[in-house]
Amino acid sequence: MGKKRLTMRRKESIYGYIFVMPWIIGFLAFTAGPLVFSFMASFTNYNITSQMDFVGVDNYQRLFTEDSLFWTSLWNTLYFVAFSVPLTTIGAILLSALLNQDIPGIRFFRTLYYLPAVLSGVGVYLLWMQLLDPGTGMVNLILSWFNIDGPNWLFDPDWTKPSLILMKMWSVGGSMLLYLASMQGVSKSLYEAAEIDGANTWKQFRHITIPMITPVIFFDVVTSLIGGFQIFQEAYVMSSNGEGGPANSLLFYNLYMWRQAFENFNMGYAMAMSWILFVIVFVLTLINLKLAPRWVHYEGEEK
Amino acid sequence: MKKTRLFLIGLMGSTLALSSCAGFQTSNSDESTVNEDGKVVIDFWTFWGSEIRRPVIEQIIADFNESQDEIEVKHTYLPFGDIWTKELASIAAGDPPDVVINDINTTALRGQEKQAMNLSEFLEEDDISERFYPELWNATLHEGDSYGIPFNTDTRVLFYNKDAFEDAGLDPEKPPATWAELEEYAAKLDVKNGDDYERIGFYPRWGIDFDVWMLNAGGQNYFDENNNVQIDTASNLETLEWLKTWQTKYGDDVINAFKAQIDSQQGNPFFNGSLAMYAITPTFYTQIRDYAEELNFGVAPLPERESGSGNTSWGGGFVAEIPEGAANPEASYEFIKYLTDVDAQEYWAVQNFDNVANIEAAENAAASDEFTEDGSMVYQMAVDNMEHTLLTPVPVIAPDFTSYINPNVEEFFLGSMTAEEALAKSQADVENLVDNNSQ
Repeated sequence: MGKKRLTMRRKESIYGYIFVMPWIIGFLAFTAGPLVFSFMASFTNYNITSQMDFVGVDNYQRLFTEDSLFWTSLWNTLYFVAFSVPLTTIGAILLSALLNQDIPGIRFFRTLYYLPAVLSGVGVYLLWMQLLDPGTGMVNLILSWFNIDGPNWLFDPDWTKPSLILMKMWSVGGSMLLYLASMQGVSKSLYEAAEIDGANTWKQFRHITIPMITPVIFFDVVTSLIGGFQIFQEAYVMSSNGEGGPANSLLFYNLYMWRQAFENFNMGYAMAMSWILFVIVFVLTLINLKLAPRWVHYEGEEK
Repeated sequence: MKKTRLFLIGLMGSTLALSSCAGFQTSNSDESTVNEDGKVVIDFWTFWGSEIRRPVIEQIIADFNESQDEIEVKHTYLPFGDIWTKELASIAAGDPPDVVINDINTTALRGQEKQAMNLSEFLEEDDISERFYPELWNATLHEGDSYGIPFNTDTRVLFYNKDAFEDAGLDPEKPPATWAELEEYAAKLDVKNGDDYERIGFYPRWGIDFDVWMLNAGGQNYFDENNNVQIDTASNLETLEWLKTWQTKYGDDVINAFKAQIDSQQGNPFFNGSLAMYAITPTFYTQIRDYAEELNFGVAPLPERESGSGNTSWGGGFVAEIPEGAANPEASYEFIKYLTDVDAQEYWAVQNFDNVANIEAAENAAASDEFTEDGSMVYQMAVDNMEHTLLTPVPVIAPDFTSYINPNVEEFFLGSMTAEEALAKSQADVENLVDNNSQ
């Protein structure tokens, strides 16, 4: 009896490996190699085409002690992540709570708010550059109806990052869909019981909905934190000449790394930068995972 | 049962293994460098894919292929955003194209990094450097060797509206010659209606920016020939202060509103006369031709800072180069020679209304009867202006120096730094960059 179960289990694990095989092969062939290579090359003066001499920790040392743009880019990225991740998460939760109502035409609204997630990439950035134009843009036009003198958005270093965060808020539709799906899965009986006990809508939201969707919140926070650190395209497209201006206010970490790698051909230096970013994101994700048991509630889990 | 399963597993495994092998094979399949007629095949990469440019370059290639029976050139179009990263990857992989069009101002850097081939060997046999404007040729040199052959170029000139000049009581045949005249004329040309401007005389930071005016004022680049940094200079300080007076005069709201119209291309305020003077590349003429045919305009060199300081202007351009590791450099060079010779260059110049690097071709084009009267006038000015045009090749020691200047100057225009602070900080930062890089 025991022997048979073992073979079953072994068979299943073999099936398991077969199913993950394409991913493992892909990982080994296309990711693991370059990963190891970039780590080794981060200790060299690799320039892609002609040189690759070992320079020890020189790249890392220069980054931390000599390179002012490294710190600028790191600060810009941290600023963006610190505001965009909480704001988009809260925005998405509130939006999905609104769209979780049972009213006529709700499908129409859901489609409407999801649309920005379908439109993505450069087209959207160009559209926002027009919307945010200080003189002729729609955003400042609408603000002027309320007698608000709109800021210079993408031309004022104090407003460039808020502009991008605003744009990110507009496209929360993608994570909204995750929250909505999760909210629909919350059992109606919980709400009914709470209503009988006299809980109002806010209390139901606070004590039933939020705890029930914490796994999705956790997932969203982790992925958008990682994604936030990788911001590149927005700054590349929305600053003039892709330089990260005005006054380096949009010089994000990945943009600076890209410039070192492909414009100055300091590939070894750029690889060192990528490993520093990796360590930062890795540590933050570890902290996230450590904190998770304190607030993430899995149904059926024993406390 | 068990056997079939094992067989299936084996089959899946081997299929996966095979498919992953196939992935490696395709990329490096040895593309034959000789075609069935025994001709050497040259792969030529450009970013000229537009309706206007593509037919012109392909005609030049067809003419070359007709002209001899040794070499067959094949055109590969790649988008501007991809071409050079793709080239870099292909050089690193040891399978580069044979000829690539690349930026002239970074040619020396690619030479140093061994991405572009040293062309001295070919030039010793057959020196073609005399064909080109010396400023362009010098930009291709790194430690005395050339790494690319100039193809096209550009410059910055002043367009002005003759009707507006007459309207303001100015002589339409006498464009401003100095900065002082520029200010004086602009003031006369301004038409103000309440807080709004119906017509703006001139604003120096549309079309070109502070770097060109600094070049115009001082007649020198940020680096001298020994890589000494010369940013914090009296002339640059004066330029920044001068530019700020224009900003104060019109105010940010007016400037931003007009800037948005300029960016929209068709709505450029120069076309309908609400901007009287505009400094830009001569190719701006093609937009006037297409969007404002009736406009009565003239074209002049950039004014001098003061009488005798020089009408220095700024230019860039592109070179044809042979990537390191190309299979048939001799054949590549043959083609580049054709590409930069009079016939091909003149054809390119006339069909695209573009400045070319070949002096004789540029002069022929200016006299071409395919241009209208206005077209010839602008083209002649573009050719004449080459004499005042400087290029700003990046120093190999500090290729990214502009990222240490532009942010400070931007802060100055935003009001959070004085001109002295901005220049002093730029000077210090760039010197620091040069020091760090030369360690």
